[in-house]
Amino acid sequence: MPLVRTERLTKSFGALVAVNAVTLEVEEGSLHSVIGPNGAGKTTFFNLLTGQHAPTSGRIIFDGRDIAGTPPHRIAHLGIARSFQRTSIFPTLSILDNVWLATFARQESWRGLAWRRADRYPELTRRALEVLGEVGLGEKASLLAREISHGEQRQLELAIALAAAPRLLLLDEPGAGLSPDETQKMVALVRKLKGRYTIILIEHKIDVVMTMSDRISVMHFGSVIAEGNPVEIQRHPEVRRAYLGGVVAP
Amino acid sequence: MTASAKAWLAILAAVVLLPVFVRHAIATEIWIFAIFGLGLNLLMGYTGLLSFGQATFFGSAAYVAGYLLKFYGINVFLALGLGIVVGAISAAAVGYLCVQRSGLYFIMLTFALNQMFYFTAYQWTTVTGGEDGMPGIPRPSVLGLDIHRPLAYYAAVALLFILSLWIMKRIVESPLGKILQAIRENELRAEALGYNVPRMKLAAFVVGGAFSGLAGVLYAMLFGIVPLESIGFVFSGNVVFATLIGGSGSLYGPVIGSFVFIWLSESVSSMWARWPLLLGVAFVIVVLFFRGGVVEAWARFWAWRAAHRAPTVAGADAPR
Repeated sequence: MPLVRTERLTKSFGALVAVNAVTLEVEEGSLHSVIGPNGAGKTTFFNLLTGQHAPTSGRIIFDGRDIAGTPPHRIAHLGIARSFQRTSIFPTLSILDNVWLATFARQESWRGLAWRRADRYPELTRRALEVLGEVGLGEKASLLAREISHGEQRQLELAIALAAAPRLLLLDEPGAGLSPDETQKMVALVRKLKGRYTIILIEHKIDVVMTMSDRISVMHFGSVIAEGNPVEIQRHPEVRRAYLGGVVAP
Repeated sequence: MTASAKAWLAILAAVVLLPVFVRHAIATEIWIFAIFGLGLNLLMGYTGLLSFGQATFFGSAAYVAGYLLKFYGINVFLALGLGIVVGAISAAAVGYLCVQRSGLYFIMLTFALNQMFYFTAYQWTTVTGGEDGMPGIPRPSVLGLDIHRPLAYYAAVALLFILSLWIMKRIVESPLGKILQAIRENELRAEALGYNVPRMKLAAFVVGGAFSGLAGVLYAMLFGIVPLESIGFVFSGNVVFATLIGGSGSLYGPVIGSFVFIWLSESVSSMWARWPLLLGVAFVIVVLFFRGGVVEAWARFWAWRAAHRAPTVAGADAPR
């Protein structure tokens, strides 16, 4: 059974149809990539899943429930977490606090919200440090988020999403703006997450997508023009014409 | 000794020494204004919401508690409790409307609503006394203790100030404090993590309003009058001003700011009628060079000193 399914999901901004009747299923535990040229509507599609935008029409069934139009803070509590294409962190807070805030949000009860000292939640602090260790920032937990390099901020970006212990993880170009070296690290990281989380990945680096994905959807002008496993996608004539061009050898 | 212990020690010392050097009424006003500033700082410094209408909560509480003190002779605890409740409720009402907007619109809304409260107080002369204010606020004894003597009232206010500071410290170090800072830093991400941003902002308003309300009642009992200005926008501006000078976003900033602001305005104003000019210059310096106010200037001074003294310390340790 798919964990999440969209049915003819559509979002228009005035005359522009950014996401056009997208129907898509993501199996529990799989890594499903969404590729497509800039402006194809991939990030808007994410924004619909996480509630940043309300869809114009269509449905989003998450775990058997229609969640279309639910506000972002509620969606987070259902277990959908995302990383952002443009790094979105809390610059003047410590790296630990950045991640801690994500673990606290997912608590069943917010006991001690306005009174207990934030450093007196040993379980949450431990989880936050664990996630930081996983992305390779364990040593830097006490630095401020603005003090680390862009590459490290991208790792933090991912850590914040992971710390929410999501059932569905949406990764919006985790490799955006990284050097080849940093990209390799990030790819290894995402590979480690595969299987442990249900992941939808937006990525431009085709080779990465082809080697990692269980399934791939190709978006073009807001519509899904092809879907399949990596081999099927590579062979798909329309995809090669619209997007892959000469990148992947026949 | 930890930095926090040092700060508490400094504040205790200030509480004890201030009435020795400064007139008691002014010393009392400093701590009252500091409580007022603590409330604003939670909004402005921690949540990033520049409220230009804090006098709404200060003045409303002062009027309500003052009225009941004057005509119904309620006891001090009830008056303070009511002031806190009135401050919180008026802040909830104003905050509910304001958190729907952001940026400039937010600021203008807090200002406009402040003006609404001001003109209500101005027009409703039968209750508020309009332009003349509401005089004759008594200062009843507390548990048999007479607080009419300036020093006794000073002690009571100082005690409440320390209690307020401790409560605010707990709040800013709690998860809520972190969440509010997260909202200040990045609202979109805070929401994506699962925080209901408008509701959290409203919480900041309510807490800030409660502090303002407490300050308002103490102010009314200090001077025995609720002046119309206590609900006016100039008063709202003053607390923003004092907090910025002291250092917004740091726990002790508004305390230092209140000291600088009240002390300057009381001591310099008697010598020089154009003293606001001096405040203006101080403000420009803070905005241009020390965004973090006195607190930041202080930290920078010590960092600078440490950097310049480091070589000599190393030299002293070297073998002779």
